[in-house]
Amino acid sequence: MLFIDIVKRSLRNLLTSKARTILTALAIAVGTFALTLTLGASNGAKEYANNIVRSNFDPTELIVSKDPNLFSRQDATKPQVYNPSFGSISTFGGETRQVQYLNTADIAKIATTKGVSSVQPAITVSLQYITRDGQKKYIGTLAPYNSYQKPELLAGSIPEKIQDNTLILPQGFLSALGFSSAKSAIGQNIRLSVQNQTSLNSITTNPLAALNSSDNKSQESVFKVIAVSATASTSISAATSLYLYTNINQVESLNNYIYSGTSSYQKYLTAYAKVTDGTNLTKLNTAQSLIKGEGYSVQSVVDTEKLITQFISVIEGIVTLFGLIAIIASLFGVVNTMYISVLQRTREIGLMKALGMHRKDISRLFKIEAGLIGLLGGIIGSALAVGIGTALNPAISNKLSLGNSNLLIFKASQILILIVVLALIAIFAGLLPARKAAKLDPIEALRTE
Amino acid sequence: MIEVNNLTKIYGKKDTAFNALKDITLNIEDKSTVSIIGKSGSGKSTLMHIMSGLDEPSSGTVLIDGVDIFKMKEKKIDAFRASEMSFVFQSFFVEGNATCYQNVLLPLEIAKVGITKRKKMVMEALKAVDLEDKVSAKASTLSGGQKQRLAVARAIVNKPAIIFADEPTGNLDSTNGDKIMDLLFGLNKSIGCTLIIVTHDPDIAKQTSMRVSIKDGKIENIEKGRK
Ligand SMILES: Nc1ncnc2c1ncn2[C@@H]1O[C@H](COP(=O)(O)OP(=O)(O)OP(=O)(O)O)[C@@H](O)[C@H]1O
Ligand SMILES: [Mg+2]
Repeated sequence: MLFIDIVKRSLRNLLTSKARTILTALAIAVGTFALTLTLGASNGAKEYANNIVRSNFDPTELIVSKDPNLFSRQDATKPQVYNPSFGSISTFGGETRQVQYLNTADIAKIATTKGVSSVQPAITVSLQYITRDGQKKYIGTLAPYNSYQKPELLAGSIPEKIQDNTLILPQGFLSALGFSSAKSAIGQNIRLSVQNQTSLNSITTNPLAALNSSDNKSQESVFKVIAVSATASTSISAATSLYLYTNINQVESLNNYIYSGTSSYQKYLTAYAKVTDGTNLTKLNTAQSLIKGEGYSVQSVVDTEKLITQFISVIEGIVTLFGLIAIIASLFGVVNTMYISVLQRTREIGLMKALGMHRKDISRLFKIEAGLIGLLGGIIGSALAVGIGTALNPAISNKLSLGNSNLLIFKASQILILIVVLALIAIFAGLLPARKAAKLDPIEALRTE
Repeated sequence: MIEVNNLTKIYGKKDTAFNALKDITLNIEDKSTVSIIGKSGSGKSTLMHIMSGLDEPSSGTVLIDGVDIFKMKEKKIDAFRASEMSFVFQSFFVEGNATCYQNVLLPLEIAKVGITKRKKMVMEALKAVDLEDKVSAKASTLSGGQKQRLAVARAIVNKPAIIFADEPTGNLDSTNGDKIMDLLFGLNKSIGCTLIIVTHDPDIAKQTSMRVSIKDGKIENIEKGRK
């Protein structure tokens, strides 16, 4: 028999027992539905995670630290040896650590590494307060702006080089500072104050004196608003959505003011090393291993992404497993249906054999039939998942505040592969019934009434 | 020519062994009409199944045009059956869920006849059995006589060299039975196929050119020439 004739005959058989075919296919569809949603959710989660990483970190930058344990937890069950050459002792998420800081010499050294174009210490300035004439004072954070961020702007624009004493104001501060709209904030002045830490240190010993001296040791500067950024759904935490941004030099000088006279002066936990042509992964990796070779620990955005994606993959794996179990269960349905089909068509099989149809073709007939059931189940399940998923996406995004990102992202290629694999698995399930059909004795078969 | 030499068939083993055919030897000329007659259980169907290669003998040989069909590879004997032989059974064996057209098409599909040639052949066969108006009717909707005519159409569509008919009129009234027999004998004349009929009916046996009577698995008598 020609392949096309076998397929036609299989289709005819499936159509003859429609209810049975559809019920068997529906069982497969349930598993497929789960798997398609899982794939969609993990695509969405991965893309969302990458969005977060990409919009909060410059992919061409390496994060460098002197402390070998910063990017990996040290073994907290074993006592750590005290090292006088290290920096301060501090609590790190409830765990006392001796952290090594980068100093200006380190920064200079990293900057000379081949492939590194510039090094910026990672600083954010904790402001004593932010205010505007006639408004309350608010605490806040000032951070250096990096052009990779490309925040969504509600008003104004960000120049190539941000001038001193200009800043990007986040949407969240608008009404707090008495602005009626984003537009009305542009060109307005707001005042930022920083406080020197030496005065704060004395709070514990002489609070009253500290209060007096702190007044002396703080500095207020005036900044002009050049742009207002929208609250991004991809902010790494709620806190960063309220960051004010200006140029790095000004952040650095304010930071120096805060820490001058303390042991933390010009000491940095991490620094960003910008790599020339850093979008090229090999160049990024080369620079990373060179800096590592100088005794620093280095992490790239790729590493961070991997960390997050790994976590997503584990969850994906677990859900996939459930989907697979559902599909395996439904395969017994296919086996059962096909066995019934063989029994029902004993005489037909006998006739075909008597008329000279090869064993192989008879077996193929039933395998294709099983495969078609799998195909049908796959199509029904994935179509339902895509349909329902696409319909629910806006509601889900809204509920999880994902902004414009979709939780469920369906990829045609993945779904196609899934359906093909399902058809193949169904064929596998049809193997035994097909073998039974091929082995039928035509005379016995014709004798059955 | 079909040469049957010293054929025996034993069903089962040891205690339950049953000797259904005992040392059968006979020659069937090309284009002849042969009837196999005998009581129920005498071994007629068994002999027919072995001659067509559907069943294997316990010993002995069947040669068709000088070739031992039981020495052929399975695939080859399948192909041989598909292109050279056809069957009409007592209980019709039509596919009820398929249309008449699809029923008659089956042997052509199995013999891998080119798709373009098929329609003409099927229509010719249906016309020969007077069923061309039922082309698209489901086989299950046909009457008994029509079903058997459909089975005959299926048997002749591929212009076989040998037609095996196992009590083709057994389930039909005499009018319909006569129609089928007229059809089969007519085919023997028109396309020159060898016709091997298993039957109880002495009237049918009379019309054949050779009568083989079997009793308890043994040849009782072979008669040649029309009565
Ligand atoms: N598979 C089998 N196992 C055991 N015995 C069998 C088997 N097939 C046939 N027989 C026996 O072989 C003998 C011949 O059977 P066969 O079907 O050839 O008879 P028949 O002459 O065609 O009878 P009928 O006219 O009733 O069709 C019978 O006694 C039958 O019981
Ligand atoms: Mg019989």
